[in-house]
Amino acid sequence: MPVQIGKEAPDFVAKAYHQGTLKKVRLRDYRGRWVILFFYLRDFTPV
Amino acid sequence: MSVDSVDTHRKWQEEELVRMVKGGALFPLCSDPQGEIGKLFGVYDPGPEEDLRATFIIDPEGRIQALEILAGPAGRNIPETLRILRALAHHRSTGNLLPCGWQPGKPVLAPEPGDRHKPAPTWEIWETRNAF
Repeated sequence: MPVQIGKEAPDFVAKAYHQGTLKKVRLRDYRGRWVILFFYLRDFTPV
Repeated sequence: MSVDSVDTHRKWQEEELVRMVKGGALFPLCSDPQGEIGKLFGVYDPGPEEDLRATFIIDPEGRIQALEILAGPAGRNIPETLRILRALAHHRSTGNLLPCGWQPGKPVLAPEPGDRHKPAPTWEIWETRNAF
């Protein structure tokens, strides 16, 4: 596993859609705050 | 975060999410088209070429404090994610330990003692029924 509980999460930059705008999201920008990161299978799926 | 493009995220927001909750998704919908970020986090599924249903809780120092991965047709339980987040935040500010099933208002346990301190036994503070 490339990730471990208790260790730093890998940094990343992702394109994102946020409330009508396109932006870049970088995990490291959230230092100082708690982050809940949700991975999910696909848009338009019921579950 | 899913493998969908930002354009598909926009369509999903405009066509479905705003009909499910007022304002739609308030947080960024991230795009991971090749699954590279999923692979970094160990949650990319190469068969269907999708990211798995995974939740990571990351603390203010950037460390992963909790991880859940679910397969199959059962969705996540958001109150549980919030419960864990509150427990972790409580520990961070007080040093207390949060037993099974902890919710705000339920008994907490004192921090790990140093060599000179003898803590009260757990059973004097917490009963099994507190877990439910």
